[in-house]
Amino acid sequence: MPGRQAHGRPLMPKSGGGGRPKHRVNNKTADRKSRNNVLDAFAIAAEQVPQKKAKGVRTRDLDEPEERPQKRQRDDEDEDDEDGDEDEEDLEDARPQKKKAKNSDDFEGFSDGGEDSDGEEWHVGVGADDEDSELDSDEAFGESDEEKFDGYAFSGSSSNKKGKKAKKGGNDSNEEEEEEDEDDDLESLGSDAIDLATALDQYESDEEEEGEEESGSEDDADSESSESEDSDDDMEDPSKLDDLQKMISGFAGDDDDDEEQLGSKPTNKLSLSDLGLLGVQDPHMKKSLKLMNKEEKAAKPGQSKKLDIPLAKRQQDKLLRSAAYEKTSETLERWIDTVKHNRRADHLVFPLAQNAHDAGLDSQELLPVTKTTAGTELEQTILAIMEESGLGPTNKPKKEDQDNVEEIAARKGLSAAEMQELTRQKRRERELFSREQARQKRIKKIKSKAYRRIHRKELLHDEQEMHDAMVEAGEIDSEEEREALDRRRALERVGTRHRDSKWAKLGKKAGRAVWDDNFRAGLTEAARQKEELRRRIEGRRKGEEDSEDSGSDDYSAESGDDKHNKKRLLEQLEHAASYADGEAESGLMQMKFMQRGEAQKRKENEEMIAQIRRDLDSDYDSDDVEETDIGRRQFGMGKKEIILPGQQAAQKKKGKKNITNDMSNLQVTPQQAATTQVEDTSLAASVAGAWSKAPQEGRKSTKKAAKVSVGELDLSNAAMLASKPKPKSKDAGAAKEKKSSSSAPAATTVDDSSSDDEETIHLPLAIRDQELIKRAFAGEDVVGDFNREKAEVEKEDDDKEIDNTLPGWGGWVGEGISNREKKRHTGRFVTKVEGVKKEKRKDFKLKGVIIKEGRVKKNDQYLATSLPHPFESQAQYERSLRIPVGPEWTTKETFQDATKPRVILKQGIIAPMSKPVL
Amino acid sequence: METTDRAEVSLSRAEQPSGAVAINNVRSEFRSKAEANKIRKVKAAEKSYGRGRKIDVKNVKDKKLKRNLTNLEEKYQTATLKAKEAEILLENAGGFLEAEHELERTYKVRQEDIVSEVNIEVAQKKFDLKLDQLGPYICDFSRNGRDLILAGRKGHVATMDWRDGKLGCELQLGETIRDVKWLHNNQYFAVAQKKYTYIYDSQGVELHCLRKHVEVSHLEFLPYHFLLATLGTNGQLKYQDTSTGQIVTEIATKLGTPVSMTQNPWNAILHVGHQNGTVTLWSPNSSEPLVKLLAHRGPVRSMAVDREGRYMVTTGQDCKMAVWDIRMFKEVNNYFTRAPASSVAISDTGLTAVGWGTRTTVWKGLFSKEKPVQEKVQSPYMTWGGEGKRVERVRWCPFDDVLGVGHSEGFSSLIIPGAGEANFDALEVNPYETKKQRQEGEVKQLLNKLAPEMIALDPNFIGNLDLRSAKQREADKDLDAGPPDLEEEMRNRARGKNSALKKYLRKQKKKNIIDGKRLKAEEMYKQMQEKNGERHKEKVAELGPTLARFARKE
Repeated sequence: MPGRQAHGRPLMPKSGGGGRPKHRVNNKTADRKSRNNVLDAFAIAAEQVPQKKAKGVRTRDLDEPEERPQKRQRDDEDEDDEDGDEDEEDLEDARPQKKKAKNSDDFEGFSDGGEDSDGEEWHVGVGADDEDSELDSDEAFGESDEEKFDGYAFSGSSSNKKGKKAKKGGNDSNEEEEEEDEDDDLESLGSDAIDLATALDQYESDEEEEGEEESGSEDDADSESSESEDSDDDMEDPSKLDDLQKMISGFAGDDDDDEEQLGSKPTNKLSLSDLGLLGVQDPHMKKSLKLMNKEEKAAKPGQSKKLDIPLAKRQQDKLLRSAAYEKTSETLERWIDTVKHNRRADHLVFPLAQNAHDAGLDSQELLPVTKTTAGTELEQTILAIMEESGLGPTNKPKKEDQDNVEEIAARKGLSAAEMQELTRQKRRERELFSREQARQKRIKKIKSKAYRRIHRKELLHDEQEMHDAMVEAGEIDSEEEREALDRRRALERVGTRHRDSKWAKLGKKAGRAVWDDNFRAGLTEAARQKEELRRRIEGRRKGEEDSEDSGSDDYSAESGDDKHNKKRLLEQLEHAASYADGEAESGLMQMKFMQRGEAQKRKENEEMIAQIRRDLDSDYDSDDVEETDIGRRQFGMGKKEIILPGQQAAQKKKGKKNITNDMSNLQVTPQQAATTQVEDTSLAASVAGAWSKAPQEGRKSTKKAAKVSVGELDLSNAAMLASKPKPKSKDAGAAKEKKSSSSAPAATTVDDSSSDDEETIHLPLAIRDQELIKRAFAGEDVVGDFNREKAEVEKEDDDKEIDNTLPGWGGWVGEGISNREKKRHTGRFVTKVEGVKKEKRKDFKLKGVIIKEGRVKKNDQYLATSLPHPFESQAQYERSLRIPVGPEWTTKETFQDATKPRVILKQGIIAPMSKPVL
Repeated sequence: METTDRAEVSLSRAEQPSGAVAINNVRSEFRSKAEANKIRKVKAAEKSYGRGRKIDVKNVKDKKLKRNLTNLEEKYQTATLKAKEAEILLENAGGFLEAEHELERTYKVRQEDIVSEVNIEVAQKKFDLKLDQLGPYICDFSRNGRDLILAGRKGHVATMDWRDGKLGCELQLGETIRDVKWLHNNQYFAVAQKKYTYIYDSQGVELHCLRKHVEVSHLEFLPYHFLLATLGTNGQLKYQDTSTGQIVTEIATKLGTPVSMTQNPWNAILHVGHQNGTVTLWSPNSSEPLVKLLAHRGPVRSMAVDREGRYMVTTGQDCKMAVWDIRMFKEVNNYFTRAPASSVAISDTGLTAVGWGTRTTVWKGLFSKEKPVQEKVQSPYMTWGGEGKRVERVRWCPFDDVLGVGHSEGFSSLIIPGAGEANFDALEVNPYETKKQRQEGEVKQLLNKLAPEMIALDPNFIGNLDLRSAKQREADKDLDAGPPDLEEEMRNRARGKNSALKKYLRKQKKKNIIDGKRLKAEEMYKQMQEKNGERHKEKVAELGPTLARFARKE
């Protein structure tokens, strides 16, 4: 084994001289590696035999242990002046490296000369030194040691040896080379790299500062800490660990060797003298020595300088693991976003697009095919065809361009250089311009909301002032100006489909109005809009005119007829309606609730008006169908007294009172009835009770017992009504209808004569019909029945109290029990059954409606028993259910999106993600 | 301060005739045009395709839930927007008859006028069948509007492809016919005869006699549930499943002889009109009416519900026609008919046909879901009749502008412009379906058949949360139900690889508790083992020893 060979012996340069040239390393990294390994080995060795070394060697002393022998060798060379030189060397150390290199050069020159001549002396010198000091680090290992440090790699050093061996033959002068090597070593660390020795120093000084008191038993403390680290249950010394980890993380980027080295870092000091290395000339060594000395001075006298026991393997491994963990987690963190993204993705497609063979290529646009790029036969053929037909991609236009430029230049009499200058200038201008534009844009952006808000006010103010000034000066007619403003506004609103718009002009030119329906519609729309705007400009509202128009239209439409009275009535109705519409609204009326109330009121009014109008209308309808109106007036209904709306309104107010107490309106003769019906029908809806209150004269004819006691109506007049021939028959008919329908509804038949009659009736009769029908159905108190039923249901569903008291339970029963006693025993055991309170019923506010309370049990099976997990509220859950999925309710696209599987597999090899996507 | 500024600005912009100051929406002032446009689009889409209020995502604490809900809302919005955008594909536009000027009235337009104006194909849809012997006639269109069935009261039944004028079958039943109804397609129809209800096929062959449906006066068919609902003169409401033949429910209405019946196509609730003017709403799941409302003072002669299930129109013997908001149960409007209307029907586009006396009136805009307040219509859209033919029944033909009127002298088909849905979904109901498509559709229908238990006033209740309290639930529990059967439990519950039985035994082994359940389970396990052993033995006997197949055969 080469390690066992004794080196540094110039005595036997051929036989055992492998040792010295071994260190002449050209490969710097290899050198460093071997150095580190040696250091490691040394540290372990130190651990093995701590007693031998009286004083600890500091880590930095172990920095370049393999150099020590080298230095020794050099020391051998000039042993005599070594002591004196030591200071010089220190100084040299402080000098910049270049100078040092020079120095070494000088030295080289000197040594060159003396080598051959003083060879003898060296031999003597070597012989004078003791064996131990001469030992190379490699040599220091015994066989047993090698077995122990089996795991460590010495390959670096061995390779060094080989290289050096090879070199040995050619060159004997290795000193200067060694020097160079060392220098190289320093330089090879790089600018940002930190020397391990200094780094350790930094760390140690920190440690020592805080560990001053316990420094006497550093070993103990260390071992303790190691123990505590070993056992997970124990508390760790956090500060130390932290420091360690900090330092480790500082070196996280370094080689594995460094880390290993860190693991074995001893903390105890070992002086050089202890090792017998007195004459150290290596500048590194000296530097570290100097530092050490300084520290020694600073340290308290009781402090031990022992080398710390390197951390146990387990601990080292642990540190390594933690460092490795950090490193791994850092790399893994890069994936977090991607993983999250994929987890949240709605759909995943495998194999990944990332791994596709054309992953990085842009498939969005195609490059033009040229002769050079036309790869396939097809492309070439097509290109040839295109070229043939003069469509191929040629450089002609470009040439033309160039020619043009040249031509222009030639024309202008400019040289090529001038031309270039010109173009450059133009470019610069363009550049400046675009820059200016960008700036403007930015400024605009800066002038944002706030800016504008402030300035708008100002602007308005200015405008107003100017306007005022102009008005004062009499420069403008304010009315005129307003109109102009109006016009402007109107024009703005006309939009694109204006008469003078491009669209209209184009259409006109093409004569589209003849065949294009859409265009025609657009034209009419434009015209309508124009009209509307004109009106707006005139300050009138559309509604007003419309109502007026319709009113006049109605009038004109029907003026031809001889029913002037009705027309007038209608007209007045219209007026009333329009009056209601056009009422100016005060500020109060702008409020929402007021408007709502108003709307309600208006609706009622309109209903009333509409009712009247419709009745009139329907009269016309029937007239239109068969004009036999006049002939029917023989029944004394010809002379209708149409009450004018004014009067009518007055009557309406009265009517409500009247109808309940004296019912005078119902007692009038048929002639009068015609007029009164107008308001009766309008009231019909509101007077729900009329059904139950209606008289029973119809009953008389059908010979049914009058069960309901509703005698408010004057029956004498009803009799009179019945005596009139036609109404009587109507009445009878209605009654008959009633009877038959009650027996079998499907068989309800009205004989032809009566239906004919129905068809031929005119307005008043139709209205009177309603009254008659009302009376006809009055017998059955359907409303009352219904209300009673509802009350019953309400009571049934309501909360109930059940008396569970048993007679005789806890008290006597039978005869002779006083009433007081009886009373005491009633209601002793009462259970309350909760139901639905009347106010909480769904139909509480609905008239004429009973809604079943309680559940439909069969539906319960389709209800969710409890709120599913991720949801926080019922609303969220039910909302999530309502999303449309089926193709019936959504578009195909939505449907497919909704039903697309989460993971889509396509043919191909599914490879894992090669890099994070995000 | 700022608002006042704004007020000034807006004042200077828009003058109000009333002198009022309109304050524009402050927020919308700073919207970009594109943004405003987008918001408008979304609003429009929400209006027609929206599905209710959004959830407030901001208050959700759970991050994942928040993200999921946000995604959900996005999906809702894209769905609505896409649906709105897809409207462009609805290429057919329906149009109504419109008056050119204010003097003209659409109801004065006669059928002859329309026929002379429209093309031949459409003109052919106007026809009259003179069947004055066995009348009055009732009619019914099949779901896709292709086929028509006519039934005279005195026993005459005829089916026909009315566009082609092809007669499907013709029957002379020789007894009173009260009602007739197509089932899920044009292959079957039900006829309510004097005593029983019968089901015939398209050839007129009697397939079934439903003896449990006695003296039926009204028939309804719920196509999505395959339920034939019959209403007898005795007030019995019966549901029969036409796919399985089971009677689902029999309910006594207890309100005397019913007068009318119709279904709400939105939620499959049946509306029954009674003698006392009430309308009751029924589902097969409850023996009491879900709702009872007083619609008229006399018998309710006829009812119809619009296809979205929002409005109901009822006509009564009291010469009234009422429009109801059937979701709020409020009367919206009340009209006067000059004679008690015998039949009412609502088309897909919301036209309401009312047959009264010898006339038929078609109303437009009686109700509109867009309007907040329904207005009272002043004049009808179209009218027909007055020629002495007493109208028995009016029915709209789906997907066509045709109104079928069955009357005492036969049947008349009228052209009512704008009545039919212009854009049909051929995957749902296809008016032009072939035989194959019909067959496929039938299968699909059967696969998508809904259970009768799913019928409720609100059809969207399915999957909703049961809001009963635990106490209530305990009270509602069926106390008579026995304990769950162990064997069933063990056999039927098998999640994963292992059976429930094995799992149970495995878990119990550790506990060392021996009770009845465990004994039973062990017994079951033993039985199972034996069974398996037997099977194995059989196999061995059948196949011989394992390697026998490799032995050389002599």
